Order: sequence, then structure tokens, then C-alpha cells
Amino acid sequence: MSNIYLVLVILINLRLLTTSRISSCINWVALQGTLLGLYGLTAHWSHVNAELLGLAAFSIVLKGYFFPRVLHRSLRGVKAMREITPFVGYIPSLLIGLAALALCQWIGHRLPLPDYDISKLAMPVTLFSVFCGLFLITGRKKIVMQAVGYLVIDNGIFALGISAFPQTSLLVELGLLLNLCVAVFVRGIMIYNLSRVFHHMDSHQLSTLKG
Amino acid sequence: MNTDFLLWALLVSPVVFGLASLTGESEKRSLLLMLAGVGAQCFFASLAIIQVFSSGPVIDASGWLRLDALSAYHLMVMLVVYGGSSLFAWVYFISEMNAGYLRLGQVKTFTSLWCPAMSAMALVLISNNLGMMWIGIEATTLLTAFLICIHMSRGVLEAMWKYLVICSVGTALAFLGTLFLIVSAHDLGFSSGEALLWTNLLNKADQLDPMLTKAAFIFILVGYGTKAGLAPMHSWLPDAHSKAPAPVSALFSGFMLNAALYCVMRFIPLVNIATGNVDWPLGLLLGFGMVSIIVAAAYVLFQSDVKRLLAYCSVEHLGIIALGLGIGGLGTMAALFHTLNHSFSKALSFFAAGRLGQFYGSHEMEEMPGGLKVSPIWGGALIASFLALIGVAPFSVFMSEFQILKAAVDKNMLLVLAVFIIGTASIFIGMLQHAIPLAWGEQPDGIKTQKGSLLEAFIVLFPLVILLLLGIWMPEPFRIVLEKAAEIIQGKFI
Repeated sequence: MSNIYLVLVILINLRLLTTSRISSCINWVALQGTLLGLYGLTAHWSHVNAELLGLAAFSIVLKGYFFPRVLHRSLRGVKAMREITPFVGYIPSLLIGLAALALCQWIGHRLPLPDYDISKLAMPVTLFSVFCGLFLITGRKKIVMQAVGYLVIDNGIFALGISAFPQTSLLVELGLLLNLCVAVFVRGIMIYNLSRVFHHMDSHQLSTLKG
Repeated sequence: MNTDFLLWALLVSPVVFGLASLTGESEKRSLLLMLAGVGAQCFFASLAIIQVFSSGPVIDASGWLRLDALSAYHLMVMLVVYGGSSLFAWVYFISEMNAGYLRLGQVKTFTSLWCPAMSAMALVLISNNLGMMWIGIEATTLLTAFLICIHMSRGVLEAMWKYLVICSVGTALAFLGTLFLIVSAHDLGFSSGEALLWTNLLNKADQLDPMLTKAAFIFILVGYGTKAGLAPMHSWLPDAHSKAPAPVSALFSGFMLNAALYCVMRFIPLVNIATGNVDWPLGLLLGFGMVSIIVAAAYVLFQSDVKRLLAYCSVEHLGIIALGLGIGGLGTMAALFHTLNHSFSKALSFFAAGRLGQFYGSHEMEEMPGGLKVSPIWGGALIASFLALIGVAPFSVFMSEFQILKAAVDKNMLLVLAVFIIGTASIFIGMLQHAIPLAWGEQPDGIKTQKGSLLEAFIVLFPLVILLLLGIWMPEPFRIVLEKAAEIIQGKFI
């Protein structure tokens, strides 16, 4: 059952690589975060407890509601809502993504999770999400896509973290989520300030500091 | 002595004073509250450090907080750098206030972030829990990001964004590495949370999955290495250092980079033991160290902004530290010694560059000749710190670099030796060609000679005297501290 969530996470990653509309990307990454919260519950369904329930609920609220809200708000008043000319086009992005998926699957099977009673897809999904996140950060021009890429990386890491729960303790997981919360909040403020001062949202135009 | 409260006190006290500084009714009052917060942490941390070196590690919070020789040594360096930078911030910002460049709101932003950032860095050092250590590093990124933009401009915003994006991705990768390590300890029977404790992992490091542990270290080194400014992940560093106010630049180079490298140091014994004690992680450190020295050497030659020059110099020195750690043996101890030497000299150089920048109204080196005539104190500090940084005897940087060289010679590492000598020689030439006109050039018309205060003289002389003393003579207790700290990195558990 939990495999379905992980397959959906992979499909969302591929979708993000081919989506030009920025607000859609934010919504997709929010859905991805929500699915991972549900994955955490189903993966540990046989021994679900209050800690796990709380963690999953907290994660769903943050990733599914709070983060997209902050990012959507930071986009208010900005005209450029589409990534029209990314550094890497959408078809090549998809092809690169598929190749990376095969590679992550191959590496993931060589880095098995020892004796965990969870999906064998957890490791490949984590590696693929990290790859997709890095690709979005470097392959897209709009600065808000760098925040989306960061969230994709974090979703991938969360997939492994929630798999390893309760070995990674609740306090650390919560600390991680709170840190992420602040990080997204800070990014929201920055995106707002950058678009206000520079009158654009293109990362490649942030190039006054060189050498 | 009852030490139960010490680690908590040193974590909490700066946060309390940082928040209290928001209530300050004047700029000076906010700055004074900030100084009180830093002073409080210095007091509690000093007690804890004394405790560590007199009777062993200080442990609290069910083993989640732990101060041992390695963390105590770094904490010692942090206190000096933070204390010095805080005093310098007083001088620097008072001058800006007098010139009308700074408002109360900006001062409050600075003080309310500066103190919690100190707590976050202390959390990195005293966390025995690797997850908490990571949280500390990420918190430093988020808190210090706003310290860069006390004065808002396009360049500052750009620098801050790059810092935030690159370092956050780096720390995310470091967390993935930490997770890999925890996963590799799944079969060892640790209960919830115990698997994250460094001491537990070290005790059973030989039973960790070698393949997963290797993958973990790659992510950890790339992740924390990004925050430490190791090349080729250093691209945020020159921008953030050059655009931040001078006290913040001094803190970044003087300690924040060390804090990230400290995290890597914690993982070295775990990975080395897990992979069969064949020095597998040391090879990676050697690689990053050499690349950092080469990249820094190339860029130092072509810099025009004094703070960017110093930033690239930091890339070089962090590379030298990584190189020392990678060589192992005597190199480990020398790398730790170099950590202190670089921190003190780099903080001083940023103080001088910042203060002279205020007098000249620019950080472009062509526009700031004759520093010794404009300000004997800060001009002298700049040339002295430049000489220390390029490894001129009798400054202690020379001694630590010499020891790293000796360690490389002892282990017949000819490539390392060649890269080290060529890289440091290039940087020696590059920095000296800038330093001479900066110190002895003609004083520009319209730039008045500035008298310094006693406090300014103290800020300059304190690190300089330490750098000179340690270059001439290493006290026995200090050598023992270095040895104990090095033994922890080498996996001899204390």
C-alpha cells in the first residue's frame, strides 16, 4: 500500500520537471508533502502511535498548507508566473529525469535499508527527489523555483527519515520540520524583497557579484 | 562543582539577552544588552571548558548535550572570535550611528539575531546528538542570513539569497548523510533517539554498514563542506563575506566556517572505523583540501575588493585545515592548531578591513592606500593580519602550516606537498602585492588621520599577541588540549 504513495512522489517529481506554471509547481510540491505524511502513517501502520500520528499531521499541515501559502503570498504582485525559457528545456528535463530515475533505482538497490519493514522504493525515491530538487534549483531561472527545488529535496529526505522512524527520534524530526518552516518563511520574505527591489524574478540576472 | 546547568546556561543566556535587546530604547542600550549576552555565554562556557580539561567531558540532557576535548577546544576559539567580534561590533556600529548610517531598528535586528546565532553555534559544538548538531548548523544559516542585510542594497540581497540557497541545500545534503548513517545503525539495537548519539555510534562504529556509511560521508562532506566554504562549493562565500557588515564577515570567516568543518570532524572517526580503518574518509578530505587551495590561489591574484580577497583567503585556509585532517597523524593536530590561528588572524583582518573601509568609504583596494597613515591602529592591524595569514614567521600560522607540511613529508605525499607549496606561494605573492600599497601607499587627499580608542587597541592587540606567542612558544597545557582533541578525531575515544 505504501508503495503507491512513493510511486506518486516519483510521478510528481517528473511532473515538476515539465511544468512551466510556477503556481502549479507550488501546488504539486504541496501535494507531494501531503502524500509523504500519509506514507509515513501507512508504512508504520502496524505500530502506529501518538508520536507518529502527530508527526504525520504536523508534516501534512506544514507541507500541504503552510509552505504553499507562504510561497503563493510571496508571488503576489509579480507578473512573471511562468518559467518560459528555463536553462534546460522541458523535454530534455524529462529525459534527464527518466535517466536519473533509472540511475537512482540502480544505486538505491545497492544501498539497501537493513532489515527495515518498509518499501524498497524508499531509498530510490529519496535519491531521485534530491536529484530533481537540485535540477530545479540549477535548471530553472525563476527564484521561486529554487524554493520549490529545496522543498523537493526536503520531501525526499523526509521519505527516508519517516521510513527510519522511530530510530530518528520525534524531537529531531520536529526540529527538522520547524527548521524547514523557518527556512521557507525566510525564503518567502526574500522572494518578496528580491522581486520588489530588482523588479524581476530571474536568478540568472542576480549577477552583479562576480569574481 | 555542580555542572548540571552549565551547558543549558550557555545555550539559553545569549537568547535571553538577544530578545531583551529588542526592548532597548536606544542603539547603545541594545548593543550593551548584546554584549551582556555574549559575556554571559563566555562566563558559562569558560566554566564548562575548565571542567572538561580538569575532570573530563561534561554531559547533560540524557547524553544529548556533551562537551568533550574536541568541542571544548572549538568552543574556546568561538568565545574569543565571538567576544572580539562583539566588541568590534560596538566600535563599528557606534561609528555608523555617529555618521547617521544606522537606525535603531537596524541595531535591534542585528542584536536580536547576533546573540541567538551564538547559541546556535554553541549548540553545534555541544550536541552529542547528530540531529541536533544539524539543527544548530541550519539555524546558524537562517539567523545569520539576515545579519548580512543590515544595510539593504541590491548587492546585499543578491549575496543573501545565494548564501541562503547554497548553504540550505548543503545542509539538507548533510542531513541526508546523517540519515544514511542512522539507517546503517538499524541492526545495532538502539532505541528511539539513541541511534543519533555520536558516542553510541562511535562505540559500535565497527558494526555500521560500510557501504551506507561511505555514502553517508560523501553527503556529509559535500553538505557541511558547502557551509565550510570548501571548493568547489564555495561560491556563496566571497559574496556573503564582502557584502556583510565587517563584524558579521569576521564571524563568518572566524568561526562559522569552522563550525561546519567541526561537524565533518565528528564523522571522521565513525566512518574510518566503519570502513575498516583504511583512512577512506581522509582521502576525500585531501581531495577537497587541494581543490580549495588551488581555487583560492587562482582567485586571490585577481581581486580588487579587500573583503573578497580575504574571503578567498578563507577558502585557502579551510582547504589547508581539510588537508591537515586528510593527512592524519600529526596533520590532525596541526589542522586543529591551524583552525585557531586562522580564526584569530582572519577575524582581525576583517575588523581592520571593515574599519578602514569606514574611513575610506570603500573596500576597493585601489581606493584605500596608506592605511598606516590614515589609522596606525587599523592600518597596522591590516598589515599584521595579512602577514599572519600568508604564513610569515613568527606568527603561529607559520607554525601550523609548517607542521602540516612536515606531516605530508613524513607520509611521502608528494602531490599534496606540491599543491600546498605552489598554492600557498601564489597566495603569498597575491596578498603581499595588495598589502604593501594598502599599508604604505600615499594617503589620499581628503582622508583624515584617525585616532583610535583604547578599546580598538585592545581588539587589535589581543589576537595579535596570542598569534605571536603561539608562534614562538606552545604552552604545555595548550599542547595537551590539542592532543586530546586530535585523539577524538583519530577515533581514540575520550
